[in-house]
Amino acid sequence: MKSSNASPSDVHRRLAWGWLAVVTLLVALLVVTLPKARLDSSVLSLLPASSLGKIPPQIENGFLQRLDRQMMWMVSPGDKPNDEAAAWWQTQLQQQPFLQGVQGPMDAKGQQEWGEFYFEHRNGLVDTQTRSRLQNGGEAQAQWILAQLYSAFSGVSGKELTNDPLMLTRGSQLALQQTASQMRLMNGWLVARDKQGRYWYLLHGELKGSSFDMQQGREAVEQLRALQHKLKQQFPQAQVMSRGTLFYSDYASQQAKHDVSTLGLATVIGVLLLILLVFRSVRPLILCVTSVGIGALAGTAITLLCFGELHLMTLVMSMSIVGVSADYTLYYLTERMVHGGQNSPIASLRKVLPALLLALATTAIAYLIMILAPFPGIRQLAVFAASGLIASCLTVVCWYPFAVRGLPVHQVPCRHWLNAWLDAWQHNNAVRFGIPLALLVISLGGIASLKINDDIASFQALPQDLLREEQAITALTGQGMDQKWFVVYGDSAEQTLQRLEKLAPALAKLKADKAIDSYRLIPLASLEQQQADLQLLREAAPVLQKRLAESGITVSAPNLQQMAVTPDVWQKSVISSGWRLLWLSLPDGKSGALVPVSGVHDSQQLGQIAAKIPGVGWVDRKVMFNELFSHFRSLLATLLAAAVAAIALSYVLRLGVKRGLLSVVPSLLSLGGGLAALALSGHALNLFSLLALMLVLGIGINYTLFFSNPRGTPLTSLLAISVALLTTLFTLGMLVFSQTQAIASFGIVLSCGIFCAFLTAPLALPPSTQGKGKRES
Amino acid sequence: MNRIIFLALLFISCTASAITLDDVQRSFASQPVVRAKFQQDRQISGMAQPLHSSGEVLIAKSKGLWWQQQHPFPMTLVLDDSHMAQIMGNQAPQIITADSNPQMFQFNHLLRALFQADRKVLDENFSSVFTDQGKGQWQLVLTPITTPLDKLFSTITLQGDKHLNRIALNDLQGDFTEITFSNHRLEPRKLTHEEQQRFTF
Repeated sequence: MKSSNASPSDVHRRLAWGWLAVVTLLVALLVVTLPKARLDSSVLSLLPASSLGKIPPQIENGFLQRLDRQMMWMVSPGDKPNDEAAAWWQTQLQQQPFLQGVQGPMDAKGQQEWGEFYFEHRNGLVDTQTRSRLQNGGEAQAQWILAQLYSAFSGVSGKELTNDPLMLTRGSQLALQQTASQMRLMNGWLVARDKQGRYWYLLHGELKGSSFDMQQGREAVEQLRALQHKLKQQFPQAQVMSRGTLFYSDYASQQAKHDVSTLGLATVIGVLLLILLVFRSVRPLILCVTSVGIGALAGTAITLLCFGELHLMTLVMSMSIVGVSADYTLYYLTERMVHGGQNSPIASLRKVLPALLLALATTAIAYLIMILAPFPGIRQLAVFAASGLIASCLTVVCWYPFAVRGLPVHQVPCRHWLNAWLDAWQHNNAVRFGIPLALLVISLGGIASLKINDDIASFQALPQDLLREEQAITALTGQGMDQKWFVVYGDSAEQTLQRLEKLAPALAKLKADKAIDSYRLIPLASLEQQQADLQLLREAAPVLQKRLAESGITVSAPNLQQMAVTPDVWQKSVISSGWRLLWLSLPDGKSGALVPVSGVHDSQQLGQIAAKIPGVGWVDRKVMFNELFSHFRSLLATLLAAAVAAIALSYVLRLGVKRGLLSVVPSLLSLGGGLAALALSGHALNLFSLLALMLVLGIGINYTLFFSNPRGTPLTSLLAISVALLTTLFTLGMLVFSQTQAIASFGIVLSCGIFCAFLTAPLALPPSTQGKGKRES
Repeated sequence: MNRIIFLALLFISCTASAITLDDVQRSFASQPVVRAKFQQDRQISGMAQPLHSSGEVLIAKSKGLWWQQQHPFPMTLVLDDSHMAQIMGNQAPQIITADSNPQMFQFNHLLRALFQADRKVLDENFSSVFTDQGKGQWQLVLTPITTPLDKLFSTITLQGDKHLNRIALNDLQGDFTEITFSNHRLEPRKLTHEEQQRFTF
């Protein structure tokens, strides 16, 4: 195997230096590529390109970031209208450094500006209803104007008739009032009244800055809570409800923090105690961390080299796969611990090398199969996992023979138990056949009762009080947080508005057909539409004047000049307040408009409508996530099956049909056992369970191959596997206790899966070494 | 002696007949359905002649208000607890519901309150001066105290006896509207089938 001129030790020294050079190179590579690399955290980019649509990512992200910053409050003084508490709350919010644009009531000046803008731009702000009345010469508009004039309660004044004889301002105001929310204006405040008769005053604002880290989010939430207490002291009857993504992200990070602090402590103590007990040294721990660390380093560098970017989700998943490589270190170290007395470090390496390389090759093949997946995210995962595992393994092979000098050598702990276990596998049919058969039955039973659930909402139990407040606010304002909307986009603002106008009739029809409850369309027309409206006005004006004259009403000639309203002018004006969120213009002119839709009954139907109009995309975040999850789940299931097939094939080619197939049994039973545990614990299969299965597969391969190594000692292998099992249980297995359901189900599959792999791994014992276990140790 | 008795009787009858807003409200409350003709004159500042219109009105305590202008052109307005509909010529009716627009509805409740002299609603929105004008006649002058009414009207004056006879609206912009009611009919005390149809949406 090695050159005969140099001593094995010299060769190995060169290997070690060579590997150091490679690692240095990888570090250099990472230093060069990392600053340029894009760490992608958008879940959307994991979606297959076809379902993503053609919504420009800057527009999509722009809207999402902006929406994530929004905050909304409703302050109730009690069942008597009084805006003192709300005004106090507004003053307090305005003093918070983390908030900006806090808005409460529209003052008299604002209201006046509002009216003025509508009046001065009346020819450019024609509403849909007025437009339809102006069609066919304007007869309907004449009737409408007369009705307004004759109505005692319409409040038409002589001044209005003189200044705006076509009553366009009145028309657009009334149209706006009809689309407006269920709220009324009181003293400039938007106010809603709930079923118990309480008044609720609306305020809104946004978080300053686009990204909020965990700490800042925590402080902001605590500050708001403190303010709420103060409000209660000042106004004992008052109540506040809040809504914003901030509260959910803070809740999630609090929960994660709780998980990390409680589970993390258990992990550290557990692993440390285990390693100390088995090896009587902390060095193995350091070596495990080193090899996994180098694996992660190599994985990141190579993936960035190949793809130029890395997805956050890939990174997290790949890291855990590379974490499995700690098994390599443990296997070698166990060998050293038991046989360090009689063998040199290099001789020990030779003993475990075939198993290590085989395990590496098999696992790498299993993960590399995933490169066939049509998603960049999964391909990145394949490359990351394969290169990371290789680097990890090479670290063990090249460096650790030098790192293990002086490691305490002692006998296998609990050897009676371990020997008895091995014995039973060889001589006791109840064990040899009974355990796999029992596992098979349990697996089949479990899998048969397995339910699939890709509903993202079921992955995490959201806090009840947050949900209650959100629902209450939605009921009061009529504005939900459904996150269902059309995104209309174009190369220019004008193109976007024209596309919006093509969508509008479809929306009106959907609402009339009761396919949706409501939608919010920005009240702004394209210049093309404004020009057409002007034409309508010019045609209708003489008819209108004539009709009014017949009723004895003489009016001055209306102003029929163009009064163009561009998105730019509109956004700067007071009339866009409350609507600005729905419009986005990028510096290069690309623009987008959001059309939130509520009460959607058939998300798919809306998707089809969007597909028919160029520049319109339908976004249903919940459905999209569910689809994404189900898509990845089935994809991973296919890939997993392919990986198992590849592994089986490699075993059969190497060991022959009978032993090959026998060796694949532990892998199959571990997968089945994991799934059965999931079903029996009442969880449903989702993407996270599949990810756990991928790890189970990799770990199962290690256990099987460590056992099937003809040069190895079964007892040592068993010890190595036991330590590896316990380490994994202490680390990833701890996730069973996570409060987040998705993570807990991941932990269950993983823990039970690898335990089954551990139970059945002795099946792979080579026939030649059977019975040797007792003699050698 | 006779003279004294006469004077006493006169005094007693005078006190007894001093009408209060509560009396009016009670009297209106005993009229479940009122049908009447209306005549409206609307004077808009800057316009040479006033706008005349006339038609039929129906006020049903249990249902709401039905207002049908017949001249110079047909237009119908129907208000009930949860709807407001305007039907004009051959155009499709414009319907606004209380859920979709409480702001507009606030105004409707007020309109109905005017016709029924609903003291509670009136007190919430106006300061009022009630005068007994003798011979069973009374007048109620209302000055709005809430927005948006105070932006629209300076005063609203109601006059009547057993019935509401006249409403005068003084706009802030100097416009003036007068509605007079005549030919009040209280029978039948229940809505006929045809009348009920007017409130069906």
